[in-house]
Amino acid sequence: MMQLFFKRIGFILLLGFGIAMLVSAGSLWLLRQSSFYKPSFLVNDIPEKNFDYIVLGASTGLTTLNTTVIDSVIQTKGINLSMDDTALSSQYLMLEHFLAQGKTTKFCVLAPSAASFDAKDPDISDNDYRFLPYINEDYVFQYFKQYTSTRAKLVSNSKWLPMLGVSYFNVEVFYPSLFTIIQPKKRNRFDAKGNYTYPIKNNKEAAISEFKAFPVSFSNHYIAKIKALCMANNIELICYFSPIKGRKVIAETTSFSIINHSDVLKNEAYFYDVLHVNTRGRQMASIHFANVFQTLLK
Amino acid sequence: MLFNSIDFAIFLPIVFVLYWFVTKRSLSLQNVLIVCASYLFYGWWDYRFLALIALSTLVDFLVARQLQKETVRKRRKALLFVSLVFNLGMLAFFKYFNFFIESWVDAWQLFGIEMQTATLKIILPVGISFYTFQTLSYTMDVYRKKIDATNSFMQFAAFVSFFPQLVAGPIERASHLLPQFQTKRIFNSEFAISGFYLIIWGLFKKVVVADNCAYFVNQIFDGYGSYSSMELFLGAVLFAFQIYGDFSGYSDIAIGVSRLFGFDLKTNFSFPYFSRDIAEFWRRWHISLSTWFRDYLYIPLGGSRGSTWQNVRNVFIVFLVSGFWHGANWTFVVWGAIHATLFLPLLLLQSNRKHITSTKLSLQQVPMLVGTFVVVTMAWIFFRADSVSIGYQYILDIASFNSGTTQVFYKTSKTVLFTAIIVVSIGILLLFEFLAIQKDKKEVELNRYTAIAVVLLICFMGVFKNPSAFIYFQF
Repeated sequence: MMQLFFKRIGFILLLGFGIAMLVSAGSLWLLRQSSFYKPSFLVNDIPEKNFDYIVLGASTGLTTLNTTVIDSVIQTKGINLSMDDTALSSQYLMLEHFLAQGKTTKFCVLAPSAASFDAKDPDISDNDYRFLPYINEDYVFQYFKQYTSTRAKLVSNSKWLPMLGVSYFNVEVFYPSLFTIIQPKKRNRFDAKGNYTYPIKNNKEAAISEFKAFPVSFSNHYIAKIKALCMANNIELICYFSPIKGRKVIAETTSFSIINHSDVLKNEAYFYDVLHVNTRGRQMASIHFANVFQTLLK
Repeated sequence: MLFNSIDFAIFLPIVFVLYWFVTKRSLSLQNVLIVCASYLFYGWWDYRFLALIALSTLVDFLVARQLQKETVRKRRKALLFVSLVFNLGMLAFFKYFNFFIESWVDAWQLFGIEMQTATLKIILPVGISFYTFQTLSYTMDVYRKKIDATNSFMQFAAFVSFFPQLVAGPIERASHLLPQFQTKRIFNSEFAISGFYLIIWGLFKKVVVADNCAYFVNQIFDGYGSYSSMELFLGAVLFAFQIYGDFSGYSDIAIGVSRLFGFDLKTNFSFPYFSRDIAEFWRRWHISLSTWFRDYLYIPLGGSRGSTWQNVRNVFIVFLVSGFWHGANWTFVVWGAIHATLFLPLLLLQSNRKHITSTKLSLQQVPMLVGTFVVVTMAWIFFRADSVSIGYQYILDIASFNSGTTQVFYKTSKTVLFTAIIVVSIGILLLFEFLAIQKDKKEVELNRYTAIAVVLLICFMGVFKNPSAFIYFQF
């Protein structure tokens, strides 16, 4: 009697999960062929091998430094590899991913939110699933494996059982992969050079008179790891602090260069919210950055 | 432990193997295993409240044994009184204490009198309303001499704590479930496979239908003031499917898991959104609770055999108490009152049993189905709202037909995706249920291929990242 039961549920589970496994593997393959997320965009859409600089960061780096503006001002070749809702650990992974493609850069501009420099990063970031299609790469697998949370384990075990990560992040991974069948070159909220901008919500001119101190001590251990990886590949590390409404970052270190533009924009009209600039602010901040960066290039 | 958790996915096969391979030869050992597994299952959430279940089990076991021996009517009544006071007292303390205190203060405030009282920080033990009602039905049935009291404490403990239905039902009657703990279980493959199919279907209802609906429901109900009439109405419709998928999904899994262990639990939901009137809705929704109230409250009050006034009173009492059973908030009482008001005309016109024999649906009945669904959905608004005034305002905002869009459902690519998933999943749910009704089945029946398809739907349409807790756990 029991045999029939095990045969029947075995058939359903094996075939069901078998199909799910194949569909998931196919889904990851589709994403790897696409330009939908930054990791595959870098592999499939960026033929250039050598850059003057790359921008690594979270939403602040993504929406503040417009590489198109910077390159047009100082005649450089750069790309923005920032991803929103990510941490320093994710930026380290992106740097590894960049180098794994055989690409090089003279400068690495690290532009996460100021708070990230002192965060602990006890878990993977909200958008780290974007590396899931590359889970078979050892550096990606090792990255997820170091975390103990359920979602990190699901992603790392996707190396053998792709269904785990794809089901868990089905809205973020499975459905976009279906979408890429129709539009493989579609990019998810970034332009051909990896930039994105927030719209102008409030065009009201209002001077920001007071900037409160925001101390940063670079205690996140990923700073040292990024620095070491940069050194090993002859890349100069620059930490960039993007404009914050009413805050001035206080940060000093001799380990790497700092471009502190946290208080460079002194009008509310440049901001989308407290942490992010809008299109106008991005233009201003990018020009400010280009001017300072030009001196470092020399 | 949640049914839709990895913990349970590990727990269930272990208990299954121990049950059918290690303790198979001894009925007593199987019952001991069920009690241990059930206490582990419950204690996984909060072990401190295991003592409450144990105490409730002990009190009702002893009271029922004494009731069995006792012949003097007064003493029998006193014993029943002990059980009622203990069980309802426990429920009143853990679930309603703060509500009574706050309502008392509010009532005096109406007369301009300010009162200073302290409330207690009481954690509501999960499932307390379910297992107290189950044990109460046992002592009341023994008191009425409908069943004999059991002499085996372990069998009774297994009946009270049986893990598949411990925290959210179905609320089983001792006359139905207790004998199953007293007889040797023989593994029946077909029965177990039907249970396995029910588990899959229940997971689909919970993980795909309910949890995806929750995405919009939470947004709309939490910020109801900033949505258009149509968005609010659709938010209420989605809540109707959320609560149905959530609760009936739990019941399906509970019944399915029980079948794996050779136990037959009663049907708790019978396609309620295919009801043609409110009376039929209540024969299809949370059947184990509505029949409990019918047998232990409505009929003892006189049922529908008294005068018109008594009938009206009885219906209101049952619906109000039923609403109050759900939670210590006036919103549930209003929800019960709305259903009573909708049910009364049918009772008074003696058409409340109109659809009792015919289950198959015809095209001409579609307006009746839609009408019943709409009034049920409107009542759900109070069930979901944080307060009566919010529920009232929510309905007013729907009725105002204010201009606006349904933008919330297609604002971003992500919301479009959720909308599509919800439409497809509700469509599948209703299609399977409609087919089951037309075939006169009590439950959705899958075969091996549809089961595989449903497994795939769960994998790729389910919510795993931010799953919602089962709504009925809070009751």
